[in-house]
Amino acid sequence: MSSILQELESQISGLKTSTTKSNVGIVREIGDGVARIEGLSDVMLNELIEFPGGLYGLALNLEEGEVGCILLGDEKGVVEGVEVKTTGRLLSVPVGKGLLGRVVDTLGAPVDGKGPITASAIYPVEKVAPGIIKRKSVSQPVQTGIMAIDAMIPVGRGQRELIIGDRATGKTTIAIDTIINQARINKANEGKPGFRPLYSIYVGIGQKNSNIARSLAVLEAAGAMPYTIIVSAPASDTATNQYLAPFSGAAMGEWFMDNGMDALIVYDDLSKHAVAYRQVSLLLKRPSGREAYPGDVFYLHSRLLERSARVDEKNGNGSVTALPIIETQAGDVSAYIPTNVISITDGQIYLETDLFYQGIRPAVSVGLSVSRVGSAAQIKAVKQVAGKIKGDLAQFRELAAFAQFGSDLDAKTKSILDRGARIVELFKQVQYNPLATEVMVTTLWSMQNGYMDDVAVDKIKDFQLKLQDYFATRKDAVLAKIRDTGAINDDITADLKAALSEFKSSYR
Amino acid sequence: MKLDKDARKLTKGLFQLSLTNGRLDQKKVSAVVGKVIASKPRSFVGILKEYQRLVRLEVGKHHAVVESATPLDKQAGDHLLANLRAKYGNDLTIEFKTTPELLGGLRIKIGSDVFDSSVRERLARLETQLTHA
Repeated sequence: MSSILQELESQISGLKTSTTKSNVGIVREIGDGVARIEGLSDVMLNELIEFPGGLYGLALNLEEGEVGCILLGDEKGVVEGVEVKTTGRLLSVPVGKGLLGRVVDTLGAPVDGKGPITASAIYPVEKVAPGIIKRKSVSQPVQTGIMAIDAMIPVGRGQRELIIGDRATGKTTIAIDTIINQARINKANEGKPGFRPLYSIYVGIGQKNSNIARSLAVLEAAGAMPYTIIVSAPASDTATNQYLAPFSGAAMGEWFMDNGMDALIVYDDLSKHAVAYRQVSLLLKRPSGREAYPGDVFYLHSRLLERSARVDEKNGNGSVTALPIIETQAGDVSAYIPTNVISITDGQIYLETDLFYQGIRPAVSVGLSVSRVGSAAQIKAVKQVAGKIKGDLAQFRELAAFAQFGSDLDAKTKSILDRGARIVELFKQVQYNPLATEVMVTTLWSMQNGYMDDVAVDKIKDFQLKLQDYFATRKDAVLAKIRDTGAINDDITADLKAALSEFKSSYR
Repeated sequence: MKLDKDARKLTKGLFQLSLTNGRLDQKKVSAVVGKVIASKPRSFVGILKEYQRLVRLEVGKHHAVVESATPLDKQAGDHLLANLRAKYGNDLTIEFKTTPELLGGLRIKIGSDVFDSSVRERLARLETQLTHA
C-alpha cells in the first residue's frame, strides 16, 4: 500500500514542478477599454485572457494575426508591448443563494461592503439557452401585485414580458413593485408544502448610481432584499461591464432554474445595454448597421432572453422569468431596439406618458399591452373576475371618443361608459404597494357584479380602500377561502354577496 | 497608418508569393521587397511595413528564444535544440538569453507558445493560488 502512495506522491510532486505550456501574445494597441493583441495563436472565442497585474480581458474578435479583446477592468498599468496569455477559461460568475440580499457588480464581486460572498457554484456568463426538449409550457403565474397587469396582462413563470415606455412613465416602478410582491408572497408562505418561492434579480445597466441606490433603499424598506440580488453596472462602469451585466444576471437566475427554484430577472434597461454593446463593437471596429448598432444586436438580445425558460422535472424543474425594460424616445416603438425586443419577448406592457400625466398610474396602455402566454398562467379566481375587463375597457375607449360629441346617449352606451370609467379608476394604484390576489379578486368581483355602479366615479378609490379595509378586518375568512381554493365557487359567491351587502349598507 | 483593404490584400498576396512549400524563402523575400521598392505602388511604405510584420510573425514561429537565469552549457543547449527540433521541425533556429530575474529554470518561447519552468513563474502561480483561492 505504502509503495502505491509513495508513487502517487512522487507523481504529484513531479506534476507540480513540471513545465507549464501557455499561449502568449503581445499588446500592440490599447485604449478605450479595448486591446489589440498580436500572437495568441491558440486563443478561443470568448476566452478569458490574462493581463499582467491580475487584469482579465475577453477575446471577442479573432482576426488574422491579431486578436481584439475587451478589458474587464481598469486598463491603467497595461502598456503597449506587455505579454498576455490565454487561460483556457470562460468568464464565470459566482451563483447561489449566498448572493441573495447582496449588491454585486458584473463579475459577481460584492459592492455593498457586506463582506465576501459564499457561492454555491460558478456559472459561465455566456451559456446556450435550454433547448426544446428540456422545456415545459408556462402555466404558473407570477403575481406582480399590480391589478391592471394581473387582471389583463398576466405574466407566467418562464415568460419574457417587456416593459416599454418613455422616460419617467413608471417602468422601473412596475419591476420594483413586482419584486416587492414576490418577497411579500415568499414571506407569507415560507415553509408551506408545495409552495415555490420566486427569487428576484435586478440588473441595473447604465443606470445612475443614485437610481440604483434609490431602488435598493425601496427594496430594503419593503423587506424584499432577503429574496433579491442586485447586479449593478451603473453609467460610470465600463461599457464592457454594462454589456456583460445582464448575462451575469441570467447566469445567477439559471442556477435557481437548475436547482428546482423559480427566478425573476429584471433587465433595467436593455436600451442602454444595446448602447454599451454598440460602443464595444465600434471600438472593436466591427461594421455598423442601422443607427450604428452592429449587425448582431438582435442576436445579443435574443440569446439573452431565450435563457428565460421553464424547464421540466428532468432538467432542473425551475424557471427564469424575464422582465426586460426598454426606454423609447417620444413614444417611438418603431425604432430599432424597441422593435427587436418586442419581437423577441412574449408580450409587452406599454406605458404611456399621456396616461401618466392624466393621473392614471400605472400608466398601462390597455390597447397596446399584451401577454402572449396569456390566461394559461392566470389564477382561476382572477380569470373568473377579469375575463371580460379587457374587452369592456376597449369598448369604453371607443365609445368615450364618440361620447365627447353628444350628450344624448342610450342606456346601454351610458352603462358601458360608466363601467369603463370605474374600471379605469379602480386600476389606479400607488407605487410600492402591491395587492394580494384575493384582495384583487374581491375588488374586481364587486365591480363586475354591479356593487360599484351607484358609487360616483370620484368616490371609487375611496370605496375600494374602505372595501379592502373591511375585508381585511372583518371578513378575513372569505379572503383566506379565496386564497386557498384559488377559484370562486358558489360557496364563496354567497359569502361575497353577503359581505358586500353588509358593507354597502354601512358605506357612506 | 491604416492600410486600406486593397493594400492589405496585396500584402497578403506578396506574402504568399514569398513562400516555398509553406516556408519562408529568403531569396523570394528579398526579390519581393526589391520589386515593391522599384515599382512604388500606392502606399508602398505601409505595404512594406505590413509585409515586414507578417514575415516577422512567420519567422517567430520557427525561432525559439531560450531564457535561463545563468548561461546554459553547450551540452544542455544542444540537447534542448535536438528535442525542440523533434517537436517543431528541423529548420527551427534557437537563441539563448540570460535573464537573472527568472531566478532559476528555463523559459522557452516559440511563436506564441511559451514553456515556462522558471522559479519566477512558479512563485507567481503560488501567489495567485494563495491570494485568489
